[in-house]
Amino acid sequence: MRQLLSFSLLSFFSLCFAVLTAAADYHEQLVLRPLPLSALLASFNFRSNTTLSAFEAHNFRFFPRSLGQILQHAGTRELHLRFSLGRWDAESWGARPWNGAREGGTGVELWAWLEADTDEQADHQWLTLTNALSGLFCASLNFIDGTRTTRPVMSFQPEGDHPNATDTNTHLLYGVLPHEVVCTENLTPFLKLLPCKGKAGIASLLDGHKLFDASWQSMAIDVRPVCPPEGEGECVLEIEQTIDMVLDIERSKRPRGNPIPRPLPGHELHCDTSKPYHSGDTCFPADSTANQDWSLSQVFGKTIKGICPLTDPNVPPVCLQVPDSRSVYISNGGLEKKNQDGMSRCFEIEPETTNFELLLPRPEDLPADNLQAGQQVENIVKPETPLLYAERSFTGHGQERGGVQTILRNPSPDKEVEFIYMESLPWFMRIYLHTIQARIEGGPSDHDPLVQEVYYRPAVDRARGTQLEVRMRVPPASTVFLTYDFEKSILRYTEYPPDANRGFDVAAAVITILSPNKNGTRSATYNLRTTSLLCSLPTPDFSMPYNVIIFTSTAIALAFGGMFNIIVRRFVAADEGPEVSVGSLKQKLVVPLRRIFARVKPGPR
Amino acid sequence: MSARPPIDNDTAADSSTGPTVTQDENAVTVDVTTPATATATVTGTGTGTGTETGMGDSPPKKQPPPEKASDARRRTWVILSFWLVVVCLGLPIWWKTTTIYRADLPLDEMLEWADGKACRPVFPLRIAIQADSLHEQEAQNLLRLTQHALDDLNDFSGHHLRLQLSPPSATDDKPNPNGDDTALTIRLVPGEATTATLDPYAPILDISYPPNTIPSATSSSSSLAAYVANQLRSTFAEEQAIISYLLSTNSMPSEHRPQGLTPEAAESLSKRTTRSLKYAPTYHLTFSLLTSGPLPSSWDIEAAIDEYMKPVLDVLSPIHNFTIDTQVQLYATPGVQNQVLNKEDLSSFVNAAEWPLSPSIGGAPTVNFILFIGNQTIGNAAQLAEGHDPDNESTTSPSWLIPQWGTVYLLSLPHDTTHVSVSTLKQPLLTFTSHLLSLTGTPQSGSLPLRLSTLSRIRSADLLLRASSTLGSLARLSLALPSISIPSSVADGVSTTMAHLRLACETLGGAEGLEHARIAEAEAERAFFEKSMVGQLYFPDEHKIAVYLPLLGPVGVPLVMGLLNEIKAWRKRRRARAEKGAEKKE
Repeated sequence: MRQLLSFSLLSFFSLCFAVLTAAADYHEQLVLRPLPLSALLASFNFRSNTTLSAFEAHNFRFFPRSLGQILQHAGTRELHLRFSLGRWDAESWGARPWNGAREGGTGVELWAWLEADTDEQADHQWLTLTNALSGLFCASLNFIDGTRTTRPVMSFQPEGDHPNATDTNTHLLYGVLPHEVVCTENLTPFLKLLPCKGKAGIASLLDGHKLFDASWQSMAIDVRPVCPPEGEGECVLEIEQTIDMVLDIERSKRPRGNPIPRPLPGHELHCDTSKPYHSGDTCFPADSTANQDWSLSQVFGKTIKGICPLTDPNVPPVCLQVPDSRSVYISNGGLEKKNQDGMSRCFEIEPETTNFELLLPRPEDLPADNLQAGQQVENIVKPETPLLYAERSFTGHGQERGGVQTILRNPSPDKEVEFIYMESLPWFMRIYLHTIQARIEGGPSDHDPLVQEVYYRPAVDRARGTQLEVRMRVPPASTVFLTYDFEKSILRYTEYPPDANRGFDVAAAVITILSPNKNGTRSATYNLRTTSLLCSLPTPDFSMPYNVIIFTSTAIALAFGGMFNIIVRRFVAADEGPEVSVGSLKQKLVVPLRRIFARVKPGPR
Repeated sequence: MSARPPIDNDTAADSSTGPTVTQDENAVTVDVTTPATATATVTGTGTGTGTETGMGDSPPKKQPPPEKASDARRRTWVILSFWLVVVCLGLPIWWKTTTIYRADLPLDEMLEWADGKACRPVFPLRIAIQADSLHEQEAQNLLRLTQHALDDLNDFSGHHLRLQLSPPSATDDKPNPNGDDTALTIRLVPGEATTATLDPYAPILDISYPPNTIPSATSSSSSLAAYVANQLRSTFAEEQAIISYLLSTNSMPSEHRPQGLTPEAAESLSKRTTRSLKYAPTYHLTFSLLTSGPLPSSWDIEAAIDEYMKPVLDVLSPIHNFTIDTQVQLYATPGVQNQVLNKEDLSSFVNAAEWPLSPSIGGAPTVNFILFIGNQTIGNAAQLAEGHDPDNESTTSPSWLIPQWGTVYLLSLPHDTTHVSVSTLKQPLLTFTSHLLSLTGTPQSGSLPLRLSTLSRIRSADLLLRASSTLGSLARLSLALPSISIPSSVADGVSTTMAHLRLACETLGGAEGLEHARIAEAEAERAFFEKSMVGQLYFPDEHKIAVYLPLLGPVGVPLVMGLLNEIKAWRKRRRARAEKGAEKKE
């Protein structure tokens, strides 16, 4: 059933894709999927095309001019930009949307295929690209310098068609900024790139307050050339903008004016009545998935303001993935279409509609005694199990050395997972490659090595970071620990960022799962990223330079003063020296003072 | 310092068994000095202080033994050598390591350029006279007379018209045999009346004259010569006015300043110069279709540009290159929502925050042409006063020019228009074209080729003056801020600028001059905006004190005190010697 569902979903998306590239230049779609634990996944997808000839003639219609000019100026063939925030809870939410292809690690991630003759030229164009994008998206992308840029060898494959590309003139560069905080100022330029500008269509739901309040969100921009098969037409340049967000429904439903959570009155609590201790004054909260009810205006704060008139009429703008058994209310002007699989439905919106509202009521309450564990789950589409679970953390203690441990778990009972694990570490984490090891929990069970291939490019201090790509496999139903040790460098005084005691962000590891293709090669089918890490380095006291000045000066002055006095002064017996007493000091002070007073104050006459 | 307890002389003589105490009548608890004959001052105050208070009540105060002369001399040497090291080694090293690097700038020369003393901008314009029907001598005579008349008329020495006779051209299709250096060719053709017409496609002034107006070889004046001179003068009047305006706004010395520029003329010229964009070899033209609603979303801009704008761009191509991009933006809300826009609304109509009109990437400036589809109209002041008068509305132009930025054109279309056709775009594009010419600073009168050659001369004068004034600013800046560092790249930039300025000054008026002026201007700007100059601009004195005081205070006090004591002792010795000398004399 799970396989069937995933298949139908996949085929649905690929069908959309095929239809769209052929038919229209712009389409947009919002897919809503309730998740367990009172969460809601909202996937916004906007895709527009321009023919390559119009792009090269600088005639922009759906493709944004600002981005198009940057791409032309930097000689970019294909571009992927990600702004992400939060953590995807794979244990409860299951597989990632778009198979993980449209998400990035926390912060900003950028990778692009550039057309350049030499590596130096590619670096130069990359610099142009990052600087221009940083201006366009109000993000610190210009801080992606040599130390944060890598050239992945195995992890990334181009998504578009590059008929004229060769290995020598196409360069893949990858940069990541884990420290960047994604916020409203990144959403505004994102919306400006859309033909309907967030004023009509599903983009009118997007609002910085809700988007960045989400448990997890990822904004993606993908630009790639797409060519029709065997010369059926002109190649097009496609820009796909995606926003995925997981909203906490309880949190989103809080009114804007009263955002502080308060305890519910007793009669509004949803209690699990099956508990033996359930009574009038005792309540075990029921699994909130069973009680999910929401409407668009509650969750997003507004309704959909009509449809964008440019969008392809064949693609329904809103889809909702709930079982057919649940009823959904929509406002006038909408038309519900249930899909074959019984697990999703889409809504057409008539062009004249100005406000489209969708309401998912609480499922019909079953009598308490009929309520069983199995039935609750039927209220939402059960999440698909991901191919791999991954989590990464620091081990060790102290300020000198540390270790990184990644736990990779294959949930499938019968299928092995092969993937590429890529880390791009900052240069001040000097890893010891000889300590890298992969072990299966409970000792080795079969003969094949877990690590099959390692690509390692060591760091150069202050010039480039470490790049580590490991091709490895995890046998069915087992957990693999990948560990390595590293040493922390001591930075120069000026290299510490403001608030250095917070620690240094280490970018997420990128895991690309490979599956065999039809023609025998292996290609990426699923991506996931671990969380980013916070590495604390030995941090000096930043008043240090002044302290050093004072301290050395004092030492020098003491030594010098003593030496100078010994050389210069004459030593005599104690009773022979000039008398030093309180009286004589007083005398010394008083005499000149009196003289000054006498001069300042003329006599009484 | 001695750790031993001081020993009273009398008792010590009896009881002490300590080895350090000498049984002498002058027994001392000595570390350093031994008794000597010379008078000595006790420089130390701290010796044995800890115990002296206990002896305060003993009335007879003992004097330390006199210091040896050699010891006093040695102390003097020690103090002097310390001071020698400080002054000869310490201070130079400190000075050397803490001075800010300031490359040598030719400040005087730079200021000369800024004041216009280094270069006197002269635009020699050569004007060829083609008089195929005249005898050589007659023509020469006419030329001489016209030149005289011109020189009499001209009040501005910077702009000089020089006539020359061009050899009779055999064919008419080669009207400009002298190549680029001739600004204008006058073709004298015999006719019935004296008329002048400017050829609209080439820099040629056709003058027809009745045969009897040819001056004889001896006559000193001629109506034809005066007519030609007047024609020439009126042709170049605007150029002259603009150049003299440019010179007057810059700090040129007064003798070069032309007179006769009325305040009104100056004001209109200043409006025009502020309106025009800064010179650049390339301009980006961005055509934007903005609609307040969802429609229309496409336009035939490419075809329209080819038809209505391309010819002018081709003509401008020797001076400027143009790149073109176009975009369509829906749901664009203007900054002002009024139905009728008045003058104040026009400046805030462009919604800079929301419309994606960011300048194009690359060094060239962007010129924006906006076609706004909406039903807003522009009302002029009179119209606003008398309310909405439908007859008057049609006379107002639906477009306005934003200085140094571009143009907005309002177009109202039926609601269901989805596509803007070439014919609809005709009027907007013609407006854009004429605005483009005024944005590039092209003069308004004369035929197009003449206007363009004038434009290149104005541009080179403008760039030359701009570069000179930047040089002047840099010189004044480096004089005004003695603590600013001047890296050697700035000095290089300055010398390159001046070299190119000199070349530009020599070849002013030609294409080469424009190129040199452009390089000079770019280099001057680069030198002025050198990044590393700004970084060290403010280094407060508090920081310097905080760094120096902990070291210099404790080290300096003993040094200074030692020196002062030494000087005091020296003066005392001298006085003693003088007294002794006086005693001897007595």
